[in-house]
Amino acid sequence: MATTHEDLVLDARGLLCPMPIVKTAKAMKELEPGQVLKVMATDRGSITDVPAWCETTGNELLDWHEEDGFLVFHVRKHD
Amino acid sequence: MADQEKLVIMVTHGPDDPELATIPFVMAGAAVASDVDVVMGFQGDGCRLVQRGVAETVSAPEFAPLAGLLDSIRELGGQFLVCSPCVKSRGIEDELIDGAEVCAAARFVAEITSATNSLVY
Repeated sequence: MATTHEDLVLDARGLLCPMPIVKTAKAMKELEPGQVLKVMATDRGSITDVPAWCETTGNELLDWHEEDGFLVFHVRKHD
Repeated sequence: MADQEKLVIMVTHGPDDPELATIPFVMAGAAVASDVDVVMGFQGDGCRLVQRGVAETVSAPEFAPLAGLLDSIRELGGQFLVCSPCVKSRGIEDELIDGAEVCAAARFVAEITSATNSLVY
């Protein structure tokens, strides 16, 4: 699997809905447009929450996959 | 987004029903995280949730703890409006958390009619 470059990593593992996207929203404020946030989460709701959040906020979900018991998302901050 | 979205969420369940007390905070948290303006309105026993020290006691299975949700919503700009007669009848008007604003019916109506949508729990 190709590795996506990330500028910041958010560990949201163990957090329940909607805290992974609340933390994602806060973390995105620290990034410049075009930079990429990696989000790690264990809440299965994130599989639908992160794409929905990206659509609502105009940020771009680059990819997502599962690793050893958790989910990984890469989100690019909108311009 | 072309126009700023605004969601009003009315809360009528208190600590005696942790799940229905927590769900409106979950929705509000998702909304503020999505750049939606949020006004939470507390009526009836819902007022107890913005009484100092109460949120910390409320947690529903499989939901994020209410106190953390409340702090995040406040940090991301959510507003808390509390029904005036509801807090007076419970004797808690001087015990509300920072940022909770006591108001009456016309203010709720103004918030709801100017919102994109409203939810009632």
